[in-house]
Amino acid sequence: MKNQNLNINQEYKYGFTTDIESIKAPKGLSEESIKFISNIKKEPSWMLDWRLKAFKRLKTLKEPNWQKPKYPKIDYQDLYYYSAPKSSSNKPKSLDEIDPKIIETYKKLGIPLVEQQRLNGIAVDAVFDSVSVATTFKEELTKKGIIFCSISEAIQKHPELVKKYIGSVIPLSDHYFATLNSAVFTDGSFVYIPPNTRCPMELSTYFRINASETGQFERTLIIADKGSYVSYLEGCTAPMRDENQLHAANVELIALDDAEIKYSTVQNWYPGDKDGVGGIYNFVTKRGICKGKNSKISWTQVETGSAITWKYPSCILQGDNSVGEFYSIAITNNHQKADTGTKMIHLGKNTKSKIISKGISAGFADNTYRGLVDINEKATNSRNYTQCDSLLMGNKCGAHTVPYIKNKNSTSTIEHEATTTKINEEQLYYCNQRGLDQEEAVSLIVNGFCKEVLQQLPMEFAVEAQKLVAISLEGSVG
Amino acid sequence: MLNIKNLKVSVENKLILNDLNLKINPGEVHAIMGPNGSGKSTLANVLSGKKGYEIQGEILFDELNINDISVEERAQKGIFLAFQYPVEIPGVNTNVFLRTSLNSIRKSKGEKELDTLTFLKLIKEKAKELGIDEKFLSRQLNVGFSGGEKKKNEILQMKLLQPKLSILDETDSGLDIDALKIVADGVNSYKKKDNAFLIITHYQRLLDYIKPDFIHVLSKGKIVKTGSAELALELEKSGYKNL
Amino acid sequence: MIENYNFNIDKIPNLSQEEKSIRKKNLDIFFQSGFPNKKLEDWKFTDLNSLISKNFQKLTNIEKFNIDKKLELLNNFQHNYVYLINGKMNSYNFNYEEKNKIIIDNFNNSNRNVNKPLNSLNFLNDALAIDGFYLEIKENYKLKKPLIIYNFFSNNLKDVIISNKNSIKINKGSSVDLIEYSLDDSNNCFIKNTNEQINLDEGSNLNYFVLQGSKSNNFFYKYIKSKLKKNSNFNNYILTSGLKFNKIEFDIELNDDNSNCEIYSALSLTENAHQEIKTLIAHNSPYCRSYQVIKSVLNDQSKGVYQGKIYVKNQAQKTNAYQLSKTLILNDKSEFNAKPELEIYADDVKCSHGSTSGSIDENSIYYLMTRGISEIDAKKLLIKGFLADFLEKVKNQEIKMLFEENLERQVNGS
Repeated sequence: MKNQNLNINQEYKYGFTTDIESIKAPKGLSEESIKFISNIKKEPSWMLDWRLKAFKRLKTLKEPNWQKPKYPKIDYQDLYYYSAPKSSSNKPKSLDEIDPKIIETYKKLGIPLVEQQRLNGIAVDAVFDSVSVATTFKEELTKKGIIFCSISEAIQKHPELVKKYIGSVIPLSDHYFATLNSAVFTDGSFVYIPPNTRCPMELSTYFRINASETGQFERTLIIADKGSYVSYLEGCTAPMRDENQLHAANVELIALDDAEIKYSTVQNWYPGDKDGVGGIYNFVTKRGICKGKNSKISWTQVETGSAITWKYPSCILQGDNSVGEFYSIAITNNHQKADTGTKMIHLGKNTKSKIISKGISAGFADNTYRGLVDINEKATNSRNYTQCDSLLMGNKCGAHTVPYIKNKNSTSTIEHEATTTKINEEQLYYCNQRGLDQEEAVSLIVNGFCKEVLQQLPMEFAVEAQKLVAISLEGSVG
Repeated sequence: MLNIKNLKVSVENKLILNDLNLKINPGEVHAIMGPNGSGKSTLANVLSGKKGYEIQGEILFDELNINDISVEERAQKGIFLAFQYPVEIPGVNTNVFLRTSLNSIRKSKGEKELDTLTFLKLIKEKAKELGIDEKFLSRQLNVGFSGGEKKKNEILQMKLLQPKLSILDETDSGLDIDALKIVADGVNSYKKKDNAFLIITHYQRLLDYIKPDFIHVLSKGKIVKTGSAELALELEKSGYKNL
Repeated sequence: MIENYNFNIDKIPNLSQEEKSIRKKNLDIFFQSGFPNKKLEDWKFTDLNSLISKNFQKLTNIEKFNIDKKLELLNNFQHNYVYLINGKMNSYNFNYEEKNKIIIDNFNNSNRNVNKPLNSLNFLNDALAIDGFYLEIKENYKLKKPLIIYNFFSNNLKDVIISNKNSIKINKGSSVDLIEYSLDDSNNCFIKNTNEQINLDEGSNLNYFVLQGSKSNNFFYKYIKSKLKKNSNFNNYILTSGLKFNKIEFDIELNDDNSNCEIYSALSLTENAHQEIKTLIAHNSPYCRSYQVIKSVLNDQSKGVYQGKIYVKNQAQKTNAYQLSKTLILNDKSEFNAKPELEIYADDVKCSHGSTSGSIDENSIYYLMTRGISEIDAKKLLIKGFLADFLEKVKNQEIKMLFEENLERQVNGS
């Protein structure tokens, strides 16, 4: 193992790389590389056709440019679209077959995969670069009829479910990055919860980008059948590299009648260094549909990493009485940029949505909330409540709020509030007076500012997220 | 004047008032007491005609069945509800509101509407009786009023509109002793032999100042006990639990 | 269709060759994009291009303005006036004021404004503008009486676009209450495209009231660029209704310490009226304040849009900026769209916005009904109250009464 520069840099403790032999697709974006991916994954032909259709469509699309953070042109021909540890070219059947280095890597990230050290009550799917390397607690879940596996496995073993739902929420031609993902997605998680089943544990995926010059394009599909419940969590890290790496994931959620999906993200991709060199471009499309009546989808995200974060986890509230929620913390420091928010599309009657967004900007960073609330004329008696608060630390950074509000219904109500302020000096003074130093005080106050969102996270991760909030702002107050 | 026969009220299939009977004659003061959730406020709302309740049984007002009569018509016929939580209506001037209200009621009785000057003279007089500052009348309706000011405003409206039946829904809640006295004086000065009061309260406190002829105890949607003014003192001592 | 638009620059009188060629260039730029549509962020909620194609088979720029017209003046209170007929200044009267304190003139090349064009309507205005007024108030003079700018449109307008440029300059320490009062006598369709520049010097005050004397079946677009110096105040009160299409676009720069701007709008829309207010308030200097309250009541198939942006530059510390949009939607065919936007680069600021839209509060209706007021009257009272609360901010009592009258008329639907 070379280059294990663990903890050299205080700001980003996950910045090490794992030296491991990997198999890569030919460099560049082409029909060949797509066929390579499909072939190595032993996909059925309908899947390859679907990918090629997306690729054909991609050629007609342009990268969007309305977002606030601009980025240098990405050379799509200079990327690898598939990279997998050699040892897992055939997915290991048991943990004994996984390269110990990978197990070691996840251990270092705080995600033990081996039996004795597993996290209590949390099933983990670990994705390393382009492939899923391990899924824990599989048997326990299978007993209940719950399917939790990599999407590659699902394509082979549950083609009827994948075929039915993939692309049903994010269509093939949605927008540039979503279409790119549809063409070249490599792995990700698949979850199916059968009717009237409450998933007994948290399901979680841990994404790790390791290889350089590699884009990560994972695809996640979660289906909650009638009357079921699932809570899902994803975490992300990447090594420190001075190049920008692209992460363009698609996540689709489908909630049928009376089902509930809770989706939490703690995103801590490498944000680049203090001068803004390197870091992940996190261009993610996440969308859920409350297809059935009385269904509910709740997004919670803590976004502290990435050079650029650009995502809008959204809810299409189609079923009557369905509920959509979005809780977000986005912290940007140094030269980080985030443009994030949500879309709540009310189509069904008595649909409700709630948006709580907390943006914190420090250093030279730029933080934008962008969101849409759209109440259709048929969505009678619907409600939305939105609250967007921004905190600025210093006057070299920016905080922006761009809500789009559309109401076409006389029985529906939309309420939107937003504020932008700095840290309350009285509060700081009070904390200082009680003996807290500046950083402790800021961390305390910021955590308070974010509390409403933090408390949405599953217990095990709330603590981790709180620490992350504090670490992300280190060095931002002078 | 008011005759409630076998009243059953439910909201979203939940039964709140169950077979309630109550008769109020002109000149009488009735008090309804009861624990939280016994249906007191529901009774007040139903009498005023608020929408959203499923109603069975009969409510007769001056021998007329008013079950299907709208809120404003009931008000015009002389039913007045002093709210527990009067709503704040920004932009609507208190004076303008009071005049519109009074003239609507006068019009329904075939009386002549009051012009602005006559009205102002009248309202100032009424305000003075209650010790209400004139400035208060040019503010937006209930906006930024303290709890006491809102309640005084309700009593002012009662005295202005001259209803036959005044229903006071927890008017004493949130009042300090001075405001409580003003409210009680307002009620007592309006008491006549041809009008009646229905006072809804949780505590006996208000009844120290307004002496009721009858006290009814409401529990689980029914009147479980009726007695004289002394019943209130008894309740104060032993609570509702023993009933 | 754009090919049916016959805009002729050669028929505009008294243009030099150079001026003509500049105008032609601007016209070319307009033709490249046509009227704005939803693809543009600033027109996200409105496809003006298709609205215009639907309503105009052909379209030309205006050449004749003057008609014989007996001036109808408001007799509510004494006032100065400027009377514009079809965008051209017909007459003015400043008899209540001291001499030599006020300059009033027709738009011409020497006093023309130089707003940088932002959209195709601005380019079209630069190409076709021929009239409008220039108003300047000299230093340290407070107008004794309000000034009403009458905007009268005659009944012989058909398939034309009127392009005006106005310029208002208030010098140091001066103040004016200005009312724009529109009267539309026309039966046929026209478009009015106005480009207005307002400069407020140190310590000056402009209270700008916008009123509509009659309903109009026409299309109005106005772009206002305003620059404020130290301690100046720019207050806007907008009460227009019954217009088929109206978009007012404010671009306000608070360029010096302690300059303030306020925008209040109270709109009650019926039928297929469409009204938009778009604001960009740039806080470029510390200690400035901006305050916006946009109220709309939407009935029938009407549509209301508010796009408001507060921009705070990094040196503009101690900024206080507020945006509020509140809307009552009374009909399922009506629609409200909003985009209240904050773009902030300074940390020691107080910036917030709020937006609500929904139906009239049922509890308030109920409360009023328990006081004997009928449901219809209760709703009217609540709507009036909802719209009227900004009147408290109007200091001039005569103007306030004029507004109250107008509001009454709007709510009662005449």
